Amino acid sequence: MSKCILIVDDEACIQEVIQISLETIAGWEVITASSGEDGITKAIREQPDAILLDVMMPYLDGLATFRRLQADPKTQQIPVLLLTAKIQTSELQQYKKMGVKGTISKPFEPMQLAQEVAKALGWLQYGNH
Amino acid sequence: MRILIVEDDEPTAAALSEILTEQSYAVERASDGAAGLALAEAFSYDLILLDVILPNIDGVSLCRKLRSQHYSIPILLLTGRDSGHDKAVGLDAGADDYVVKPFDPEELCARIRALLRRGKPDTQPVLEWGKLRLDPSTCEVTYGEHKLLLTPKEYALLELLLRNSRRVLSCGLILEHLWSFEDAPGEEAVRTHIKGLRQKLKTAGAPTDLVETVYGIGYRLNPLNSSSLSTQSIQSSAQLHQQTMQTAIANVWDRYAANIRQQIQQVEQSAQLLVDQTLSLPEQQQAERLAHSLAGSLGTFGYAVGSQTARDIEHLFQSNGSLSELDAKQLIELVTTLSHQVILPPPSASLPQPQCEWPLLLIMSNDQTESAQLLTEAQHRQMRTSVVPSSASIHQQIAQQRPDVILLDLDTATSLDNGLQLVAQLQAYQPPIPVLVLATPEHHSSTSGGLSLRQRLDVARSGGRTILQKPVSTEQILNAVDQILQQGTVTTSKVLAVDDDCQVLAMLRSLLTPWGLSVMTLDQPQQFWETLEATEPDLLILDIEMPTISGIELCQVVRNDPRWSSLPIMILTAHTDAAMVNQVFAAGVDDFVSKPIVGPELVTRTINRLERTRFLKQWAEVDPLTRVSNRHKSTQDLNQFLYLAKQHNQPVCIAVIDLDNFKQINDRYGHATGDRVLQDVGQLLHRSFRNDDVIARWGGEEFVIGMYGIQKRVGVKRLESLLQELRHHEFPIAHCDSTACQTIQLHITFSGGVAEYPDDGDNLHALYQCADAVLYQARAAGRDRVLCAGY
Repeated sequence: MSKCILIVDDEACIQEVIQISLETIAGWEVITASSGEDGITKAIREQPDAILLDVMMPYLDGLATFRRLQADPKTQQIPVLLLTAKIQTSELQQYKKMGVKGTISKPFEPMQLAQEVAKALGWLQYGNH
Repeated sequence: MRILIVEDDEPTAAALSEILTEQSYAVERASDGAAGLALAEAFSYDLILLDVILPNIDGVSLCRKLRSQHYSIPILLLTGRDSGHDKAVGLDAGADDYVVKPFDPEELCARIRALLRRGKPDTQPVLEWGKLRLDPSTCEVTYGEHKLLLTPKEYALLELLLRNSRRVLSCGLILEHLWSFEDAPGEEAVRTHIKGLRQKLKTAGAPTDLVETVYGIGYRLNPLNSSSLSTQSIQSSAQLHQQTMQTAIANVWDRYAANIRQQIQQVEQSAQLLVDQTLSLPEQQQAERLAHSLAGSLGTFGYAVGSQTARDIEHLFQSNGSLSELDAKQLIELVTTLSHQVILPPPSASLPQPQCEWPLLLIMSNDQTESAQLLTEAQHRQMRTSVVPSSASIHQQIAQQRPDVILLDLDTATSLDNGLQLVAQLQAYQPPIPVLVLATPEHHSSTSGGLSLRQRLDVARSGGRTILQKPVSTEQILNAVDQILQQGTVTTSKVLAVDDDCQVLAMLRSLLTPWGLSVMTLDQPQQFWETLEATEPDLLILDIEMPTISGIELCQVVRNDPRWSSLPIMILTAHTDAAMVNQVFAAGVDDFVSKPIVGPELVTRTINRLERTRFLKQWAEVDPLTRVSNRHKSTQDLNQFLYLAKQHNQPVCIAVIDLDNFKQINDRYGHATGDRVLQDVGQLLHRSFRNDDVIARWGGEEFVIGMYGIQKRVGVKRLESLLQELRHHEFPIAHCDSTACQTIQLHITFSGGVAEYPDDGDNLHALYQCADAVLYQARAAGRDRVLCAGY
């Protein structure tokens, strides 16, 4: 009954920390994929409420994965957040122009992650005032 | 306490918000049904205040939708119409109560308080800390004789501190509990309220440091200098996530530390090659990527400095061509620094790990040796413990944190009557706290030297749950505690009630829901079978007289299907003559409740029945020696994993492990020692794997582990860290040969084989055989190792 988030990250340890953090704090359901290809397959099949996508991955990197997700009518409506090292505002603008919903900077603070994600996705603005 | 208001009328919403904020609740608002649903689904609230007439999804439908998704928090309906029919529709949809508009603020608040009390049966009436006293039912705070006049935020802050009196609360945590997400101010607001609170406490005569600042961490109540309380620290409030998270993340770190250190070594080697100008470009890019991910992962695990170092290294690897002499020197320095920075465990992992979700066992005993043994042994079984020496301090202790089980040595009480009285008092808490009684047999009582029936009766009459005869081993005590804890979990059970009378159904719901049971109701017996299959209840309550189909017929239908043959069934009946009772039991009914329903009787019968069933089920599912699943139960669970995995295209990792040379241990040191080793291994397995993994003993010294959604390379890593831990585990053994007796430390290892669905097989049998074959190879290769299928 809660939100479902797909995490795409090739590093298993980061995957697990994100999973623990989102499950414990926000109670969301978390599914994981360890490569861009895997992420696309799971996004099509599971239709998550949002995707958290690591930029730096071997083979199909985050941006290429994002473009494929955008090109596919089955996944283009799913909001995507990029996991990336701290970036310049100009870069963020560029990502936003491409259709990325927002970014989460690495390293992140596990206690704050759920709130950051919810904020970036606009899930906190429902019906308030 | 966080409340969600779903109300489209702006002035009403604003008024509600103001009233509730005034009562120090954190309030969030949604102005239509869809927004309300989205918020309720995304975040957790303690109560929802729901208007009946709303745009897009109306209140009653929203309520029904939330209930159909097993959303169990209290819902209070706001209705404009004061008609019996409307109220009935609302209550049938699953609302807990309603208030008619225009509402009286005082009545509204009282109803909210009543619902919140019901939702949280474990809150104790009055919170005390030395002379400080806070009564949540009246919102009154006193220090000694003096009454404190607090603002709502100060009050909420003090309540939070009192409810978590043994821990330090960070500013962030206080913000999270006292304010809603949107209106959360900065940390300076917390400081301001703390200051205000301290000022008022001081005026009332309290010491200035009653609310203590712990620099760099947060605030807490200054510990009382009471020698009557045990020094065993209690961590409190299982609801709070922080410690759970830290523990979980520390566990992840433990599993990946070796991996990450290896990556650092790799970076180190590449750095040396780069300085020597023998690093190829692809290798340099690879090292750069490695440094980049290290910066991310180290920071996430709490190594802020290490993360920065990795970032600096990444920059140096980015340079084209050869490094300047200065850069080269710096690079070598940085990589050496980095490997040193991760020698210590990460800051978050080095914190004491309170594991506040462990159940709390409160021990009242004078026997210090026994208590000390219990403390250590309980820790092994993942229980927290606290010792109180006398009945005087027991209530104080309970007020601070409610224990899950109390162990009461009757010899500690000043007299037998006093002891029994205390047991009865503990039963008066809502819900009652289970008490395990230890008693010494009366000398004259019986020839067998055991506890007399009278002693057993006395304890049972005063409400004691279990009685054990002294002397008793630590293990026996903890087994009994385990059993009581298992019973405690009935409160997550589902009950399906079938009656054509909606009023009876509403009554059943309101009687059973406060006990944490999820109650589903059905007023049309024709739809019984579909509902049964869809809801899979843990207990059935059937009315005996219904139009077209009787309860007895329904019971027979259930009993005719082998899948439901063990489902407990209770019958509601107005007639309890011998013939009827006979007929009812002959049909396979387990118990009956007479109509008109007497609330406490119904609750007791329902809970008892669920506990008995769970107890029997546990016997059928758990291996008594190692307390992991038995083969029968785990086969069901593993097949369920495979079924889900097929549906969701997930991997499942199946591992088989076998203790090395175990037969020799049995032969040399005896089977009791062998059992002890198996027992320890069972505990180690429980600690090492996740709750949703399947852990089972399939026979002898062979264990099977199933991990859903896990690939075999990860599975192998988990097993390797388990093996690592087992290697260092010492089993103390008293060993005697012809000349002397001595205690020796036994070490054991295991061999393991890992297979993965679907790569290595598509059914349990094939996967087991594959893993077992790999296990055989591991054994042939010299034991003490884990091998993976297909490598």
